[in-house]
This record gives sequence, structure tokens and C-alpha cells, in this order.
Amino acid sequence: MANIVVSISDLKISQKPGDVLVTYSLGSCVGVAAWDPLTRAGGLIHCLLPLSTTAPERAQQNPYMFVNTGVGALLKALFRLGASRERLVLKAAGGANMRGEDPYSIGARNSAVLEELLARHGFTLAASEFGGTIPRTLTLFLDSGRVTVKTLGEEHEL
Amino acid sequence: MSRRDEILASVKSVEAMPSAIQQALALLRDPDADMHELSRIIEFDPGLTANILRLVNSAYFGGLRTITSVREAVLRLGSSQVFHLLIAAGVAPRLRKEIKGYGLSPGMLLENSMVTAVAAESTARQLGFTAPEHTFTSGLLSNVGKIVLGTFLEVDAGPILELAEAEGLTFERAEEAVLGVSHDEVGAILLEHWGLPEAIVYVVRWRLKPDEAPQEDLALDLVHVGTALASMTGLGLGLDGLNYRPSRTVAQRLGLDLRGLELALARLMDDLGEVRELFA
Repeated sequence: MANIVVSISDLKISQKPGDVLVTYSLGSCVGVAAWDPLTRAGGLIHCLLPLSTTAPERAQQNPYMFVNTGVGALLKALFRLGASRERLVLKAAGGANMRGEDPYSIGARNSAVLEELLARHGFTLAASEFGGTIPRTLTLFLDSGRVTVKTLGEEHEL
Repeated sequence: MSRRDEILASVKSVEAMPSAIQQALALLRDPDADMHELSRIIEFDPGLTANILRLVNSAYFGGLRTITSVREAVLRLGSSQVFHLLIAAGVAPRLRKEIKGYGLSPGMLLENSMVTAVAAESTARQLGFTAPEHTFTSGLLSNVGKIVLGTFLEVDAGPILELAEAEGLTFERAEEAVLGVSHDEVGAILLEHWGLPEAIVYVVRWRLKPDEAPQEDLALDLVHVGTALASMTGLGLGLDGLNYRPSRTVAQRLGLDLRGLELALARLMDDLGEVRELFA
């Protein structure tokens, strides 16, 4: 059993039932947890920015930085481990914004791009928690597919 | 005694800066000082000397030069740059401790401060500006008021957060409403008390309210954007979270559009690893 930390612009995949994938400090970034109940393969990605078109050369080096290139990489990695698109359970959190009229709204754009991308490919989020002005920690437990969000010291199920 | 006065009085009880830094600050305030004296002061403190040499020999601060003595660092980087690194090296340990009032476990305040400092410089590079020499150190010190205010927030964080939520206030405005003073102002007062240069104090004082600052200032604008970028990364955030408002005026003044901001964020992540190791 291991606690595997997913840093910013990073993806981790595991099929060991005891493993726990965790990403701290989701601010405007979005974290997506995907888990297949049959194979118990799961993955967690932490994307910094919405679209790779902002910096295509960076997306080449690290596709996990962007929602539009990273989430596809997460799904493909799980398919290679035998996960099926029908069984995959997807949950996501993050996308916080600055207070007031945030002129950049990176958080809102990250979550909007994620939802649009998933819809376009026929996926739905089983649960999500986006927005607000709070940082979040997202955790995926490989044994059960349980996903939790921790914010301001309080942890709850997603 | 009002809450504000009580808080401001507590600034004086914060532990003073290490002696070598105090001497360096005195040197800086003396118009007749010989800046060669700076290296002599630092060299009396072996720990500080080692830290400074680590910084000046890093790719981030020194550009991969081989510098073997403080004297040589002053010669090659200039006394002003060495001075700012000296403050950074001296203050960083103070930012490591737990700040319960803000929900910051050990290391988180330093983490957020480092991210702010690097983000301010990443923004400058992204936009093609040369960041003023005190930009990094000002960013690193921008959160220092939380050390003082943390004690008071252990009692009052609840009402401050509730007020911010209920009225859509930024965190520093809610602090002002509940405590009579906010952590940015307390930070500036603490740095003044420590005798830090006015340029740094100015950035720390106004970095959350740049639109109200008496004068335009590039380092201030950069640290303001750095603060926003650091909030967006979520790194080292406490219960104040992303409750800060980025200024449109500053964005316009810098010519920072959405694409520029996203690229500055990506660039920030490149530089952060090295800086984290330097201050670890």
C-alpha cells in the first residue's frame, strides 16, 4: 500500500488495491479521478490549464498540463490496463476562482473545458465539485473507488 | 486598547532578524557605507555564508556561475542583488513554522511565499520586463504579516470567513472589518520595524490593493500578479484560499492578457522546483 502523490501537471495510474492516489492544492486547476470497478484500475490527473492551444510545445513535453490533452491520456492509460469506457467512474474537483469578477477565470474555464470534452466523448461525471474560492485536496482509493475532497481541514465523500 | 492597537503592539514582540542581516540593513541605510563591508558582515556568519553561496551558484539566481566566496558574489552579482538574497535567506526560516490561525501546517507559508516570488519574476519574463532587483524578496516577504496575525485568527478566522462569504469581500477587507487591520498592512509594519528598505515595505503594503497605492511601481504590479498566480496554483494556501481580487488596472498596465497569464503560470512551474530546493 502506498500514498502516491500527484503533483501539478501530473498523472498517476495504479492497479494495486491498497494504493491511494492523492493530489493536494487544487486551486484553479482541476483534478480528475477515474476508476474501473472490475479491474480496479484507477488514475488521477491534476491539470493546470484548460487548452493546449495556448502552448502546443509545452503540451508535447507534458500533455498532463492541459485538460484537453491530459484527460485523454488518463483514459487511454486506463484502457490499456483493461478498463472499459462503460464501467469507468469519473469524478472531478477544483476549478476555484479568485474573489469577485476574476478577469481570468482559469478555474471556471478549466471545469468548463473538462465538462465539454467529456460530453463530446460520451462520458459523464458521476460527481463533481467545482468553483468557489477554496483550495481542495482530491483523493482516490484504489480498493473501493472511493473519492474524497478535503478542504479547510474537512474531508467529505465525492 | 482597540483590537488594531493590540495587534500592532504585538509586532514588536516578533523575534528580530539574525544579527548579520541587521548589520547589513544598517549598512544599507548609511549613505557613507562601504559596500565591501557587506561581504565581511556575511562571512562572519558561516550558516548564512553557505546559504548565500548556494543561492548565487544556482541556475535561478546566479546563472550557473562558480562563485566561491561572498566577496566574489558581491563583485559579480553586485552588492544590491547579494543584499536581497541575504534577506531572502535570512527570512525564509521564519516562514517555515505552522500558522494555525490561517490553517497553514509547517512549510505551507514558505511554499506560498516562494511561489508568489517566483510567479512575480515568471510574469516579468513572460512579458519581457526586467523585474526590479527587490521583486523576488518582496514576493517572498509578502505573506509575513500572517506570522503576526495568525495568533489573532486562531480566535477570529470564523467571523472573517463568514463576512467574506456573506458580503463577497476579499479576505484582507474582511480582516480589516473584523480586526481593524489586515495581514498585508501588519506585514509592512513588521518589515518597517525590522528596518527593511522602503521599496520592499511598499510592495508588501500595497500588493493586495495596488489600485490604491500612491505611486505606480513595477515590482508592486509583478508581486500583485504573483500573488494571484500563486493563489491559482493552490500551493500553500490556507483558509483564506483564493479570496483575493486581481486588479484589472495592473493587468492593463503590464499588458497581461489571458494567454500571457496562462503562459506565466506554465513558466512558474518550470522554475519552482529549483527554487524550492534552494530554500528547503
